[in-house]
This record gives sequence, C-alpha cells and structure tokens, in this order.
Amino acid sequence: MTMLRLSTWVWLSLVGVVGFAMFQVKYQVMQVEDELNRVNRLIDGDRAEMRVLDAEWSFLNRAAWLDDLRRRYLTLAPISGSQIGSLDQIPFRASEQPASAGRTPAASHSRSVTLPGGPALVSVRQGARP
Amino acid sequence: MKTGARNHDNPCRPRHFKPPPCGPMPAEGPVKQSLEMSHTRLLLTGVLFALAFLVIGGRLIEVMVLKEGVPKLAQAHVRPNTEASRANIVDRGGILLATTLETSSVYADPKQMADAKVDVKEAARELATALPGINEPELAAKLGSEREFVWIRRQLTPDQQQAVNNLGIPGVLFKVEQRRIYPQGALAGHVIGYAGIDNKGLAGIERGLDDELKTSDDPVELSIDARVQYILEQEVQAQIAAFNARGGMGIIADVNTGEIVAMTSLPEIDPNAPGAINPDDLLNRATLGTYEMGSVFKIFNTAMALDDHVTTMAGGYDATHPIEIGHFTIHDDHAKARWLTVPEIFMYSSNIGSAKMAVDAGTERQEEFLGRLGLLKAPTLELQEIGQPQIPRPWHLINTMTVAFGHGISVSPLQMIIGVSAVVNGGILHRATLLKRKRDFHPAGTRVIAEQTSEDMRRLLRLVVERGTGRFAAAPGYLVGGKTGTAEKVEGKVYAKKELLSSFIGVFPINQPRYVIMVSVDTPHPNAKSYGEATGGWVAAPAVSRIVQRMAPIMGIPPVDEDSPEIRRALLVDFAASPGRKLAAD
Repeated sequence: MTMLRLSTWVWLSLVGVVGFAMFQVKYQVMQVEDELNRVNRLIDGDRAEMRVLDAEWSFLNRAAWLDDLRRRYLTLAPISGSQIGSLDQIPFRASEQPASAGRTPAASHSRSVTLPGGPALVSVRQGARP
Repeated sequence: MKTGARNHDNPCRPRHFKPPPCGPMPAEGPVKQSLEMSHTRLLLTGVLFALAFLVIGGRLIEVMVLKEGVPKLAQAHVRPNTEASRANIVDRGGILLATTLETSSVYADPKQMADAKVDVKEAARELATALPGINEPELAAKLGSEREFVWIRRQLTPDQQQAVNNLGIPGVLFKVEQRRIYPQGALAGHVIGYAGIDNKGLAGIERGLDDELKTSDDPVELSIDARVQYILEQEVQAQIAAFNARGGMGIIADVNTGEIVAMTSLPEIDPNAPGAINPDDLLNRATLGTYEMGSVFKIFNTAMALDDHVTTMAGGYDATHPIEIGHFTIHDDHAKARWLTVPEIFMYSSNIGSAKMAVDAGTERQEEFLGRLGLLKAPTLELQEIGQPQIPRPWHLINTMTVAFGHGISVSPLQMIIGVSAVVNGGILHRATLLKRKRDFHPAGTRVIAEQTSEDMRRLLRLVVERGTGRFAAAPGYLVGGKTGTAEKVEGKVYAKKELLSSFIGVFPINQPRYVIMVSVDTPHPNAKSYGEATGGWVAAPAVSRIVQRMAPIMGIPPVDEDSPEIRRALLVDFAASPGRKLAAD
C-alpha cells in the first residue's frame, strides 16, 4: 500500500512540477518575445537614425563645402611640395650635430641647400590673423 | 494440471502481491505467454514515459535554471538590416556617396474626409500653408473628389511632416517611402549614376551593379577617392571656364592596379535631381564618348616601334618635308623641318616622324599592337556606359600613318588610361575597375611590352614635360611625365579646324609611376593669356600640373629633388642626333 502511494505521489508531484514549469516557460517566452519585438523596433529606429546621420555627415563633409569654409574662415592653404622635406634635410648646428653622423658642420649645411623649391620647411602666410 | 508450487496459492490474496488474477493460473501455454508479453510491453512503455519525463524535466531545468544557450539563441537571431532596399555606395575612404533613407509622403482619403465632414477648402488652405508651393485650388478639387486615395505631396522633409501632422485633419495620412539620397551632390555624378523611384538603377554604378546593390547588405566600396575626385572636377572645370569650352573630362587611375581613383565628365550631373538633367550632359565622356585623340596616341606608336626594335632611342627619321599620300598631306604642327631623332619626334610631337615610324613597323603589326593594348575593342568596367571604339576598316597604309598620330581611330579616354598605364608601369596591362581592390592585392595582368621599352617610354614622357610641348604640366618636386594631344574634331565627314579636343596624359612620379592622369577639354576657345593657342599643352597640361600638386600630399607621395644626380641619371635621354645624321639645316 505504502509503495503504491509513494510512487504515485512522486509521479504526480513530478507531473505537477513539470506542468507548472512548462507554463512558466511559456509565459517567459511570451515576455521575451515582446521584449525582442520592442528591442527590434528600437534597433530599426536607431538604424534609420544612423542612416540619416551618416548621410548628414557626408553632406556636411563635402569637399566643396569645406573648401568654401576654409576660404572664408581660415588662413590655411594646401601645402606645396616645397614645404615637405625629410629629416636629414634639416641642418644641425655644430653643437647639436650627432657625434655618430661623422660629417663636418659645413658638409651638413651644404646638404640643406639642396632642399627642393626653397629653404622654408614651414611657410607662414603673411597677413595671418594675430 | 496442477503443480506443488501452485498449491499454496490463496486465490484471495491481493492481486499485486501475486500478479496473476485469482484463480488457477496457467503455468504454461499460449495464455501465459501472452500475459508475459503484455507485462513486458507495459514495463517498456512505462520506462519510455519516464525517460521522456526526464528529458523534458532536464530540458526545463536547463532552460529555467541554468539558462544555457540563451546568448547563442540571441546571436542566431540577429536582426537583419532589412529597412533599406538598396545597399549604400561609399568611396575608397568610406565617405558615403549614396544611401537610402525613409521619407514620409502625405496622401488623403477624400471619402474619409467627407465622412468626417471636413471643410475641403479650409483643409486645402491649411495644407498649402504647411507645404509651400502647392496649388491650393487644385488640391481643394482633389480633396473634394470621390476617390479613396490622392497624393498630396511625396517625400516630405521632417519639418513639413511635423507641420502637416500638427494640422490634425482627418483623412490626411502618411505613407513611409524610401528615397535614394546622394549626400555628395554632383560629385562623381556620372560614376555613381542614379536610381529611379521604383528602386531600379538607371545610370552609372547604380545601373551597372544594380543586382548587387539590391541584394547586398554591405556597402559597395568604389575605388574613387572623393577628395581627389573633387580636385579633378575643380581643375577641369577651371580650364573649361578659362577657355570657354563646351565640356571636358578627366580620369585618374592607379597604374599598378587599374583602379580608377577619380573620373569626371563635365558638365556635371546631380543624381539627386535626375529629372533636371539635360539629356546631352548624361553622356559620360570619359567612358562612353569616343574621340580621335590626336598626338597622345604617339605614346602607343613610339612604344610599338621601340618594342618591336623597328627603331631605337638613338634612331631617327627625316621630317624635313610633309608626306603627300593620296589627297592628304601630313605635316608637323611644331615643324622643325630637319632630321629628327626618336626622342625629338616624341618631344616635338612630329606627325611626319611618327607616320614614318608606323610605316616601318607595318600595318599588321600596328593593328596587332593596338589590339594587345585593348584599344580596338570596348573595355570592361562596372558601368554600362562603355563606348565601342571606331577603328579603320579596311586598314590601309594611309590609316597606318594617321593612326600613328591619333587620327582615323576613335577610342574612349578610359581606353587611353588603360593603355598608357600598361606602357609606363613596366609593361603589364590591367583591366580597369571602379571597385576598391583589397590592400596589398596585386592583380597579375598580362605583359604587353618589354620592361626596357616601358623604361624608355618613361624617359620620353619626362622629356616632353621638361623640354617639349608639355612644359605647363610640370609640378615642382613631383616628376611629371606626359604627352600632349590636340585633335581636330570630326564634324560629319570632315575635320573642323576650329573644333579641337585638347588633351594631356600625365604620369607621376615618372621614375616610379603611381598614377596616370588624363584631362581633355572639348572645343576650347583660345584666350588672350594663351596667346591664341588652344592646344593640349596650353589647355589641359596646366590642369594636370595643379592636380598633381594638390593630390600628391593627399596620396602620401613625397616630393623629390628633381636635380639630384640619381634622378637625372634615371631619366636621362640623349636626344641629340648622332653627328653623322645631323642635317645642315639645324
């Protein structure tokens, strides 16, 4: 008799627990699905917004527009080839001459003259803003 | 039949204690067998059910308690990016060139308005204030009609949508539509093209890669560099304005990969307003237009003669007298009227010398060579606007002579770029592309001329800029080489003297070519500054010089000392005629 009761009760309670758990899961899934839909709507909205912002960013970065702003508000001009040089074109003073370089200051000075297009490495535009 | 074992059985014992039912039990026979079988089946079913319960229970514990697999599940169901029906187009630096945005369009349901007893005239007046430019009486008539759907205005701005929404008129509704936007405006308009309202590409890349744009989620990356594109458009436009020309075109390409970095055809088109485009401007002069290119063709003629050992850098031809053939006369525009060496023929752009060079090589060889450089058939590109070259048929001796200096054969600027790239990059022909190649990807290409020929050609191209017809293309520090070309345009069947196509093809840095630049100006008119000239050297070469100076710092090309001994030696051409051949006239 006790054996009968025990196994039956065990199974009955298991069925109850599993049934309850099933309902629980079902409701959880429904909740998660609602949440998923909400998040997906947010993602869609954010993506649409990002597309608009990307387009605006590109629009505001049009080269012609930046060029116009540059001309109106900045005293900057495109660099020319004569303003670009390499490090070994810079003349060192005798005291700053690296010992390992093994050349005389005069030799180093004469190298600097070969800078293409002119001696200025950085040109400052005259009449720039104070 | 009774056995001793069965004797102690009490028929009234509980059933479960002794499974068989009360009463005598058959110890053997079919009945017992079937009883045992059903017993076993029952047990098996019970076990299966228990197993199933265990599995379900286990899974429930896994899902509810351990929560395993949830992140994996989330990853497996990433939201696809489905709102846009068409992929973006970006330049090689990621700058957005074309995108699809959602916009609202406003429509009305006149029936619903009637049901709500809306005053149609009042509604039309309110809508006209919110949407400036709308025809009020026409709108009122539409709203008062019997239909169920009338457009009021399509593709509103967000402000307009807000304004209409604030009116709160019943029966006035919004519909979300997609609209293709080109944030960079007319920049590279011919390359990008445009798509129609039904999401179908109608021109440019939008048409050429229509299927890919429709199916792909990832943006299409073009080889175009928006910054260089701007420089090219601006400089070609400057020359068109300075010479009051009809139009112009320009291409900049990477000689080692075939990537087109910038390409323009002017007058420009704005893909944001395809309806406003003048049909004549739709022609992409850089790819669809084919032209007799003039002297820039001497690049190919000279390369052919050198590669075929018809002549050498030390060789030469007598250009003293014009050539008379049939009823044609071939003469030189910059006539020296003496014996010219091959470098001189190239640098002074001698038609006579070039024609003689071509005759020496022969018609067959010329046709084969130009075919090898892809000049005799339409090139492939990601655009559908590709022009078919017009080549001489039949190819007579006279054609051989005129083709030598770029007349009697019409090709597109794109073909010129492909061919010249192969001549200067060491002799490898690459197909042109508008799509960005992967970093460090070097397409194999096919060898069309010897490396030595390519090196000689680079020296000759430099010579033209240093001492020849292309001096205005020089850009201090950036070693430009190139060739001028001035072709008389064909009007019907005759050449129009005053209608020129003035071009320059430049390559830089010429000692180690990276980019080839072609600029052509259509029908330039001489101005005071050019001393009445409208040739390629005056019209197109200065633009190339400015383009090089502006784009080199952007592309990370360092300037060099043009007078350094290494560079002098690398580009040296001994162009003086050898003493034995020198004519008394010089």
